[in-house]
Amino acid sequence: MLTAAIFVPILAALAIALLPRHRGLGASPRGLTVVATAVAAVPLVLLAVAWLRFDGAPGFQQVEAVPWIPTLGIAYRVGLDGLSLPLAAMTGLVFTVAVAYPVDLRGRPVAYFALMLFLEGVSVGLFLALDLFLFFVFWDVSLVAMYFLIGAWGHGDAQRSALKFFLYTFAGSLPLLLAILGVYLAAEPHTFDMAEIIRQQPLAGGGIYAALVFAGFFIGFAIKTPIAPFHTWLPPAHVDAPGPASAILAGVLLKMGTYGFVRILMSVLPDLWAQLAPALAVLAVISIVYGALVALAQTNLKRLIAYTSVNHMGYVILGLAVAGAAAPGQEAARALALTGATVEMVAHGLITGGLFLVSGSVLARGGTYDLETYGGLLGRARSLTWLTALLAFASLGLPGLAGFVAEVQIFVGALAVYPALAIVALLGIVVTAGLFLRMLGRVFLGALPDRWREFPDLGRREAGLLGVLAGLVLLIGVVPGWLLGTIDAFAGPFVGRP
Amino acid sequence: MTVLAPSFAALLLAATLSRLGGRPRLLGPVAVAGMAGVALVGLAVALTGPGIEIAWGPAFGLTLGAQGFGRVMLVLVPAIATPVVAYAAGSGEDGLARLLSFMAAFVAAMLLLVTAGDFISLLIGWELVGATSWALIGHGWRDRSNVDAATQAFLTTRLGDLGLYAAAGAVFAATGSFAFDGVGVAASPWREIVAAGVLLAAAAKSAQVPFSPWLFAAMSGPTPVSALLHSATLVSAGAYLLIRLAPSLAAVPWFLPAITAVGLATALSGGAVAALHPHGKRVLAASTSAQYGLMFLAVGAGSTAAAGAQLVTHAVFKALLFLTAGIAIHATGTPEIRRWRLGRSLPAPAAAAAIGALALAGVPPLGAAWSKEAVVSAAVAAGPALGALALAASLLTAAYAGRFLVLAYGPGDLARGLRRPEPAELAALGALAAATIALAVLWLPPARAVVEAATGGTLEGGSVWETAAALAALAAGWAVVLVLDRRGWLGSGAAPGSRRVLVEDWLGLPHLATRLVVRPVSGLSLALARADDRVVDAGVRAAARVGRAVSVIAARQVDLSIDRVVMSTAGAALAAARGSWRADDAVVDGSVEGAGRLVGVAGHQSRRLQTGLTHHYYVIGALGVAAIAAVLAVAR
Repeated sequence: MLTAAIFVPILAALAIALLPRHRGLGASPRGLTVVATAVAAVPLVLLAVAWLRFDGAPGFQQVEAVPWIPTLGIAYRVGLDGLSLPLAAMTGLVFTVAVAYPVDLRGRPVAYFALMLFLEGVSVGLFLALDLFLFFVFWDVSLVAMYFLIGAWGHGDAQRSALKFFLYTFAGSLPLLLAILGVYLAAEPHTFDMAEIIRQQPLAGGGIYAALVFAGFFIGFAIKTPIAPFHTWLPPAHVDAPGPASAILAGVLLKMGTYGFVRILMSVLPDLWAQLAPALAVLAVISIVYGALVALAQTNLKRLIAYTSVNHMGYVILGLAVAGAAAPGQEAARALALTGATVEMVAHGLITGGLFLVSGSVLARGGTYDLETYGGLLGRARSLTWLTALLAFASLGLPGLAGFVAEVQIFVGALAVYPALAIVALLGIVVTAGLFLRMLGRVFLGALPDRWREFPDLGRREAGLLGVLAGLVLLIGVVPGWLLGTIDAFAGPFVGRP
Repeated sequence: MTVLAPSFAALLLAATLSRLGGRPRLLGPVAVAGMAGVALVGLAVALTGPGIEIAWGPAFGLTLGAQGFGRVMLVLVPAIATPVVAYAAGSGEDGLARLLSFMAAFVAAMLLLVTAGDFISLLIGWELVGATSWALIGHGWRDRSNVDAATQAFLTTRLGDLGLYAAAGAVFAATGSFAFDGVGVAASPWREIVAAGVLLAAAAKSAQVPFSPWLFAAMSGPTPVSALLHSATLVSAGAYLLIRLAPSLAAVPWFLPAITAVGLATALSGGAVAALHPHGKRVLAASTSAQYGLMFLAVGAGSTAAAGAQLVTHAVFKALLFLTAGIAIHATGTPEIRRWRLGRSLPAPAAAAAIGALALAGVPPLGAAWSKEAVVSAAVAAGPALGALALAASLLTAAYAGRFLVLAYGPGDLARGLRRPEPAELAALGALAAATIALAVLWLPPARAVVEAATGGTLEGGSVWETAAALAALAAGWAVVLVLDRRGWLGSGAAPGSRRVLVEDWLGLPHLATRLVVRPVSGLSLALARADDRVVDAGVRAAARVGRAVSVIAARQVDLSIDRVVMSTAGAALAAARGSWRADDAVVDGSVEGAGRLVGVAGHQSRRLQTGLTHHYYVIGALGVAAIAAVLAVAR
């Protein structure tokens, strides 16, 4: 079933791409949108079923394995646990919404939908992969698909931004590949099987070899996440990408980095992670404060949101640093931080994904991302305003919405382990509050400039799709028990909580 | 009945009101009846005292209950909100449905806050109160100055919220749970962090020094919003938290003295601002700060009971005073208090204002006088110096209460063409005035036990000379007001640039905040943003340039290599041919040698290609991608 969640969209993408162009679906973008949305929803439905079958036991479940290149210990292995399940499901949802979201197709609907569906299958596959080689294949292929989405459907200096995105993140995947090979060679017998490697702990002895593997993974994941100062590919890629692609880039692709930290680096090299945790926490706090302050100075709506991603990913890394820290007696706090970091990954996907879709709609109506040209849109576009406000408040961590559930757990965990750093990190939430309230004030409140007298509100489809994301953000904020329970099935055993 | 019932009821009311925008006539009755209903639900919950635990994770969840002083708040909050929404409905603000709906949502958040039994629930209510107050203060959103003021208020209080996050984390680190019960048993240094966090959060929310100026920003909201925010809600949250938690934290040696110091500083500075400020609503706002300063003082002196009593009486008379100020502003169209003097023109509001001002000044037999004496007694019991300072604060209170009454509703000329108050507005004034008078029951002997039971604290028995001193302070304050008024100085404005302007502007605190916080932060943020574009990314661009240079060199090398392969192949073939052409027996040898040489050369060259240097692979790969991109761009 998990295999179907991965390959239904990929095969559908191929089918759409190979479809005769002049007849049937290819001729009608509208029909194609419906079909693509239906296909995009398949993984979501399958993962929802998988969630119902999830029994909360530690370890990987619902594993599906087929030998692939047995001589090299490579197999097609997929499965899930309390960490990957929420992320994969979130991926399915964000893709379904993004595929259905209206966008300027530039007259090439077939290629657009084929790429989106292909990327969906690849992304779901990455979160479900239990084989390092498979993980790397999905990792690299996702870059290619995103590169084309930005380059071909972007605006502004899209080619340059897409290339920068590709080269920069590709530069990260090279050390990642070397690190994966390093782990492969260290395991005895050589294997790419994640579960087996985690069981063996082949690099537990430490030493220069383990340090190099650590560095390789770290650079690869840090660029993708991104952790400051490896983040400069992010703003141009977001600004020039079409709205739905931005939503996926922020919502799903960034999570590949943070997911990789937990799934691979922290699991394979826990001792080294614990040794370096204080330094990682410092890096995280720098990302938090730096991302928030730089975002505060932005006048471009999309750049502003892009930099808040740096800030939010800083929270995730802080949570992970705490979760992997050597802090005897604080297992409960570390589990809390790990749960919080995972919720932050999901919440950020929904919230920031939604905010990027919003900015796509704003661009489609106003033609610019410049905050100062707008104002008073509440009077013209009520659903746009209310949905944006809800997502913005969620992003600044207002209780009752998903971001709070994530951040409060991260802060509480961090305070128990690194009190001083946690207090510095807390300052970030004041700055994010300031920047989001400023954004809301500039765009939606104040006097309505004459040129926006006819500014249209969200269409029914846009409002409905954003409503789905906003509704889930609210649900997680008010009744998070189901999500936290699932994640805790992973987080509790991971930190060794008694 | 579940402890969440009052919050749910208020939330339901908010949802209902938001759908009534098309039927403005229903808004007022529904809002008033609904809020009264919420008060009844609050009463029922307060009397039955239920509790609930909601588990979100193994060590993460909510504990809610109607306990301690929270039970008083459960009734007080919606009870004050009822006349205030009646006033709001009568005043006919723009966007009335939205205003009333947000007021109900705000009350819901406040009711959640006062039922919190742990730090997570508290934080949820606490921040939701802040966010809904942002929407209320920025109600007139078409004017950007209102929005900016709302943002300022939200950010100031959120700065204080950080204290609660820290307190929550510290309690958890110490006890493995977020419950308030753990505060008292937390070990050092966690207990100190909790104490500092609670004090920070409470001071910011209750507009204590140095956070006081956000209250002026909060005046941008419509008058009923000010009346609601400054009486039983928002601002009261800080004092409520201290009443609830200070006894458990009393073992931290600096905690109570710090509360005392903050409260005293605010009571005196806020009193000075209130005594001088030219804007009617801001006089009351500064007085709110000062009154909460007195409550902090009481808590610091060890009497949460006195603070609780003062909170209740203040909530009633301050809501009343704000509404009378709103009527005056509507009638005269100016916020400047010296242009009001509406005593003759609007006798009914003037009577209500007089009751409110007498209560503020602490004139017996009003209940507010009783609670103020309780505060002074607590201060005196804590030490003579503190007692004297508390008396000085009382004197200031009497002075600015008198000034407000004389200037706002003193006997002036009979003005014509004023906007008359609506019946709903007058009804709201009447209800609050009646409640202010009814609180005189506090003077009855059984009240003492009731107050102590409701707050969980104890009251100091006041002596006769304390009462006499308080009355003397009151008389002195009013005498000063009357003398100044006779000389015509009471309403005189300050000369621009004078020291008095600085005092009016909250002793220059906003100026300091701009200098020390706002400007550095925004400057830093701009500088970092520029640096991010130029410096951080410059490293990447430099790497790209190096990469390009390397790729050019590498490409040349690759070209060279290929050239050499071709040349050597050709050379080898030629040599072989020549060899086979020259010598028969050398034919086989020659071709073998030639082939061997060819293989050797090719092997050497391909070794060069596979240098094992990853950047070569990488550059070649990147070139391939660039070529794909270029093809794509051209093909488009």
